[in-house]
Amino acid sequence: MAEIIVKFEDKVIERVVTEKKRISIGRTNENDIVLENRAVSRKHAMIEFNNNAAVIIDNESLNGTFVNNRKISEEVLRNEDTVTIGKYALVYHTETTGGDDDMAGMDGTMVLNTKKQKKLLENDRVERQIVAKYGGSVLVGEENAEFAEYRLDREVTTIGKAKFVHVKAKGFLLSGIQAKIVKENEGYYFVNLGKSGKTRINGEAADRCVLKNGDLLSVGKTTFKFVEGSNA
Amino acid sequence: MRLALISDIHSNLEALEAVLADLDAQKADKIVCLGDVVGYGSDPIACLEIVERTCDIKLMGNHEFGVLGLLSMDTLNQYARHSMDWTKKQLTDREISIVSEYDLEARCEDACLVHASPYEPDKWHYILSEHEAQAGFEKAEQKLTFFGHTHLPMIFSQSTDGNIRCKAGHSFDPDEESRYLVNVGSVGQPRDNDPRACYVIYDSSEAAVTYHRVTYDLKAAQTKMTLAELPTMLIERLSVGR
Repeated sequence: MAEIIVKFEDKVIERVVTEKKRISIGRTNENDIVLENRAVSRKHAMIEFNNNAAVIIDNESLNGTFVNNRKISEEVLRNEDTVTIGKYALVYHTETTGGDDDMAGMDGTMVLNTKKQKKLLENDRVERQIVAKYGGSVLVGEENAEFAEYRLDREVTTIGKAKFVHVKAKGFLLSGIQAKIVKENEGYYFVNLGKSGKTRINGEAADRCVLKNGDLLSVGKTTFKFVEGSNA
Repeated sequence: MRLALISDIHSNLEALEAVLADLDAQKADKIVCLGDVVGYGSDPIACLEIVERTCDIKLMGNHEFGVLGLLSMDTLNQYARHSMDWTKKQLTDREISIVSEYDLEARCEDACLVHASPYEPDKWHYILSEHEAQAGFEKAEQKLTFFGHTHLPMIFSQSTDGNIRCKAGHSFDPDEESRYLVNVGSVGQPRDNDPRACYVIYDSSEAAVTYHRVTYDLKAAQTKMTLAELPTMLIERLSVGR
């Protein structure tokens, strides 16, 4: 059964488990998920469930709906995708997780004018330009990277200290080929091939994971941002 | 009007002073204390004096009911009973007379104010589930009710069709069509895994409820409790907010 964890400023405020075919998200109380904040439209978005697939559809909301920090109008949700609406983050799970987290108005929609929202919109614009330029998913160099951008068009992209790798990374005791990014079907996954503890995803040690748009990938001292192409 | 709502101070002077300092910047028009100024902590007298001086509306909590001898001791756990006995010994006639002036419920602007539940306020019912909120909604005349007692910041909302939802406490803009029971959390003994002091601001003209968390000198509060030989469990729980 699908589960949606609603967070406000990183704090879990509600856990929604549903068997419905369609759930609505908005500011007013007739919605299935009520987000009581003026930056949220009355009927902001909905999620449709169809044969285990979930699709989020933005209802032409004023302040927009974002999936993994990218503005969307309609998007298929994958496990652990984060939907951002106003100040709320909705994390989608294909299966219920069991609830081990720390769970213990006005007319008209206001234009959300927070720094975070501006940054999201700006990032979204820049990322779209990059993706359009390369025609697919891209690694963007954030820290200590040799190039600003790396196109991920190969089946396997290698990362490490060796001369022959596709993407150079810096760092003490890093392996020649420390990691790889594998393109498979519709997505990309990351694998650490060298010593454990040298690779991190979004600040947390990770040896293997499916990459999501906006993920920060660190290999040694070098950090990249994974920007997913629209065709992926 | 900006209304500041504080509750469950529980004789924690450090937490109370930190919250009042934080409130200075909030420009609150009125400060409401939702009860349980005393019990558990080491500074009942200082806390009662400050509340008397700074708060515009003061409500009775079950711990105040207790020190007035109106509460059956059987309803308290061992730690609460120990601290109740200790607190009673500290208080003089002056503090008892202050506490005896506290109200069981009050109204301010479009809000109902109570310590535990609008349903039988002197029975100190806990509102922790939608079911328990139901009785509260039936009794509350106002659209918004602010309460404390459980030390857990929580929001119960009731839509026009009667459906009740429960969420963890977070800043929100009340919907015109819904009614709310808002638990403002605890100043002096939070239990939502966040040790910081908790309070709420309700801006009635903006129709916005905001939660605020404030760090305070926890060590100082704990040292004083140790010196007063209060139960270890009560001292330790402040570090983890549980």
